[in-house]
Amino acid sequence: MDHSGSNGAKGHCKSPKEQLVQIGGLAVPEYWKSVEELQNGPRYKGEFPGGLPASDARTETTRRDFLAAMGFTLAAAGLAGCRAPVQNAIPLLVGSDDIIPGVANWYATTCRGCASSCSLLVKQRDGRPIKIEGNAESTIFGGGTCATGQATVLSLYDDERLRGPLWHGQPVTWQEIDQHITDTLRASEGSKREIVLLSGTITSPSTRRIVAEWQKRYPNFRHVEYDAVSLSALRAATGQSFGRAVVPHYAFDKARVIVGLEADFLGTWLSPVEFARQYAANRKPEGVPALHVQFESGMSVTGSNADVRVAVAPSQLGLIAVALLRRIAHKAGTPPVAGTQDPIEAKKLDAVADELWKHRGESLVVSGSNDISVQMVVNALNAALGNIGKTIDILQPSLQRSGDDAAMAELVGKLQRGEVHTLMMHGVNPAYDYPESEQFLAGLEKVALSVSFSDRRDETSSHAHAVCPDHHFLEAWGDAEPVESHFSLAQPLIAPLFETRAAQESLLKWVGHDETDYYNYLREFWRTDIFPRQKELPNFDAFWERSLQDGVVAVSPKSTGAIPKPVNLKPQGDWKAAVDKIFSEAAETHSGTAENHFEVHCYETVALRDGRHANNPWLQELPDPITKVTWGNYAAIAPSTAKKLDLNDGDVIRLTAGKRQLELPAFIQPGQDTRTIAVALGYGRSQVGRAGKNVGVNAFPFTSIERGQRRYFAGNATFEKTGRTEKLGSTQTHFSMEGRPIVLETSLEELHKGAETEEETSPTLWAERLHGEHAWGMAIDMNSCTGCSACVVACQAENNVPVVGKDQIERIRIMHWIRIDRYYSGPEEEPVSVHQPMMCQHCQNAPCETVCPVLATTTSSEGLNQQVYNRCIGTRYCANNCPYKVRRFNWYNYTENPQFDFNMESPIGRLVLNPDVAVRSRGVMEKCSLCVQRIQLAKNTALQGRRDLADGEIQTACQQSCPTQAIVFGDLKDPNSRVSQMQRNQRRYKVLDDLGTRPNVSYLKKVRNPLETA
Amino acid sequence: MRLQLVLMGVVGAVLAVGAGAYQLSRIGIHQGYSPAQPIAFPHKIHAGDNKIPCLYCHYAARTSRHAGIPPASVCMNCHTILEKQTVEIEKLKEAVQQQRPVRWVKVHNLPDFVYFNHSQHVVSGVACQRCHGPVETMERVTQFAPLTMGWCLQCHREQAKLPVGEFERATLSLKQRQKPAAGLDCASCHY
Repeated sequence: MDHSGSNGAKGHCKSPKEQLVQIGGLAVPEYWKSVEELQNGPRYKGEFPGGLPASDARTETTRRDFLAAMGFTLAAAGLAGCRAPVQNAIPLLVGSDDIIPGVANWYATTCRGCASSCSLLVKQRDGRPIKIEGNAESTIFGGGTCATGQATVLSLYDDERLRGPLWHGQPVTWQEIDQHITDTLRASEGSKREIVLLSGTITSPSTRRIVAEWQKRYPNFRHVEYDAVSLSALRAATGQSFGRAVVPHYAFDKARVIVGLEADFLGTWLSPVEFARQYAANRKPEGVPALHVQFESGMSVTGSNADVRVAVAPSQLGLIAVALLRRIAHKAGTPPVAGTQDPIEAKKLDAVADELWKHRGESLVVSGSNDISVQMVVNALNAALGNIGKTIDILQPSLQRSGDDAAMAELVGKLQRGEVHTLMMHGVNPAYDYPESEQFLAGLEKVALSVSFSDRRDETSSHAHAVCPDHHFLEAWGDAEPVESHFSLAQPLIAPLFETRAAQESLLKWVGHDETDYYNYLREFWRTDIFPRQKELPNFDAFWERSLQDGVVAVSPKSTGAIPKPVNLKPQGDWKAAVDKIFSEAAETHSGTAENHFEVHCYETVALRDGRHANNPWLQELPDPITKVTWGNYAAIAPSTAKKLDLNDGDVIRLTAGKRQLELPAFIQPGQDTRTIAVALGYGRSQVGRAGKNVGVNAFPFTSIERGQRRYFAGNATFEKTGRTEKLGSTQTHFSMEGRPIVLETSLEELHKGAETEEETSPTLWAERLHGEHAWGMAIDMNSCTGCSACVVACQAENNVPVVGKDQIERIRIMHWIRIDRYYSGPEEEPVSVHQPMMCQHCQNAPCETVCPVLATTTSSEGLNQQVYNRCIGTRYCANNCPYKVRRFNWYNYTENPQFDFNMESPIGRLVLNPDVAVRSRGVMEKCSLCVQRIQLAKNTALQGRRDLADGEIQTACQQSCPTQAIVFGDLKDPNSRVSQMQRNQRRYKVLDDLGTRPNVSYLKKVRNPLETA
Repeated sequence: MRLQLVLMGVVGAVLAVGAGAYQLSRIGIHQGYSPAQPIAFPHKIHAGDNKIPCLYCHYAARTSRHAGIPPASVCMNCHTILEKQTVEIEKLKEAVQQQRPVRWVKVHNLPDFVYFNHSQHVVSGVACQRCHGPVETMERVTQFAPLTMGWCLQCHREQAKLPVGEFERATLSLKQRQKPAAGLDCASCHY
């Protein structure tokens, strides 16, 4: 029987630990999840680490109580059975071919979750958009999304959005508010005071046309673009270096060597969905993976994926760029670069410079710094390496960030001097995110008319005279041009829920287009401006229909005059002056940052970004990819610093930089630069709604404006302990790895040797289970997973996973069906990270099944581990017996329960629920079903078409959302399916396979490719 | 005498418990449920006497999980040209004129934790009457079947006769292979 198999494998039988390969100087990577675990060892501390979750007061139940309760239950059940509940069915009055109840339609549109403007495909069910996917037709973004994009559908059903326009805080009609505004605008004519439209980055070309009409109509009109997290310096520097002030379009897929300087391009920077896709495609270990070196202060998603990660303080980034430029200049034989000192070990920089030089023309240096000098030096570096035109496109640049910090600073000055008559604000919240928000608010008082297009009363709009709420993007028409000549259309998925109006429509009305609505304007704009730039279709109507259906159009580029011709080290602009400036500034900051003085680094998280989505409970509850903390921000501190100052996780510190002060809990972050404290932006909104109000603290005051540019770090910060502690809502230490090999990795060398791993089949008592038509399985490539967490939100949206709130998370009761475990190996100063998506492994011999007393969980004939909610009685034995800890228990009714005041409490919030998935009630267990509703739907579609299921036809929600295609689902019975091929890959392994659980989910090992520093 | 009393007591108790248990087992079963509708629509006249196919009005049953109650516009396809007037037809026309959708009372209700797809069954050739009974003879629609899991499975067990072995399956003709097999897995309906 099975014995022969195990005997045969005996000679090769290795303990799982021995299978681990050597990385760096470490013999066996000991994975650890938290600093506490590294120091105290992985053995768990009692049954309830962190103490017993607050238990309810126990009361004695007497026999009499028991009988009374039983009698009542019987009577209640009997009564309930006597009466048929009346349910109504209300059909449409007039039928439509397009809307069939119960059948989903898909429409292409464009995301406005941030200015990256990804192309989307949105699922509409019974007239409601309920799920967001990437538009695979898009050559830029592909079929993936990010976590924020996935969650924007919930923002549509946010019941704290305004129901209609407000005038001085009072609800009015649109006619009234239009009258007020046009009257005031007319009064401004002839006045020297300006009319200003302050907006976030506008990627919509038709909206830009409307802005141009304002310019024509009102000579005193000005448009200022302002991004809370700005790339203003990059634009300015590119202008100075190459004569075109644009944000370049980067091609991470064409680079053999990628060097990142504090640019979190896989998580938040510029266009993360696009970059993650390019990056993963470029790092397939089966070929020659690109090398990635990251210099950064705090641990970012991007840094956690790098082959080499070097922690440096934010003020030192410029010096790193200069040191690299000096080496490249030396190799190129061009005039030497000033200075000799290196901010870090010289041999590391040598090795990086060697790699860059070896791959000139196929390398890429990107910097997230918002300092013009640093960006100038990076430009010189890329020019010297010949990357311009290869991995960096300036001719067809990205239009995804166009905020101008200097213009914003100038506007605040004008506001304070009373030079602004009318201020219209679209997609901005400076009262929250501008460093000198008091000055902005003081200036706002002086305008004759302030108009906000905000969808809610927020920190800024509550000070505006008029609030004219804009639609949510799923209710609106629109277009976008994220990269020059690449267009994306947006169409409404639902009629506006409230009395809102497109901002474009308001702008058109006030500028005198009383007759045209925005839809007609948009269509006309496309007819005159975009249609002539393509030759495929001769008829505009056909072109429009096709563009709407596809969502994306690429047309021939407009001929733009200045073509940059950077030759070697001679980009235009004075980069030498930039080098000098970097030196003087670094010296200044360095001398300023004395012992026990720190730099504060302010960064965006993948969930909340700049804070505009703070009222989205899915995003608040999304564990940070690195720290795994939910619901709030914290001060990330290096372990050695924490030890020195006797700090523990959750100790509240008072952080002071200049006049600014914040109190927030400390979090010990391995890999954090010892002289830098990292604080996430986007938290601490005071006016946003019930879910996001006062969650965390606002770190924007720690940013500043230096020489016209926003600076996202502060020098000379000190902190002191307050003596208080605050619990961090962390999902990180819930499950210790117990020293077991859950994550395996290999080296590139080992992989290319082609050493076949032995297949060890442990003996089993069970009969073969898979006897159905299919055998569903999944394979997850840990080398492609960046940890971006889009899948977590996608799963939550698809499967009606409830939000439970911080209090429940502290009690270890998070409900996510898929989590991403993050493990570290190596020393805590320079940890190596790995992200492992973990969900139900759908074991063929599932330990959960054997302990269920009521057979509520069983294996299906197609290999799925099924959870039957209506049969479950809630013993929780299954969860206790699950070695993967992926089962989730409904401790409460999370629906229609005021105790859990999130989206499922509100009737509007519940509109997001997927009608094909049951909403679970209290007392039942739930877990990943491998999106069985999607499997069943695809089977039915195949049945209707009288055909077999094709490979790839079924995509699970996590798989579909993944920008790097790390997750593949399919039929293991089909030997040619992608999942079967992946499960035959040399890197495959199954987690905790030695337990004999036989999971249907396989993983592909992480491949390490460290840079040798001689 | 005493023995008789005891026996009677025991029998009584057994009967009471049995009746109780039977009642409990019928909780949630609404076989025979026949609510009054806002418009007394007679299926007998439409589907029976005039032989209008079920799927003419319930067209969604071909493609959707819901059979759907037809929009009033579907009724008006005929009733704009038909001359016959009754109080009930007046109600329909009034609803259309006032643009007020009709609030029908659902007869067949499944619990939330079960997923049922009409189109899957229609495409597989299951007659509507198999579950809904002789609707074409009903003046007012009545729930015909108990709609319990056991009742569903009865049919599924009969249908699920797909050969188990690889060899037998490979030798099946294509036509037979396309014949749908009714699922017996929990996750066929519960998710």
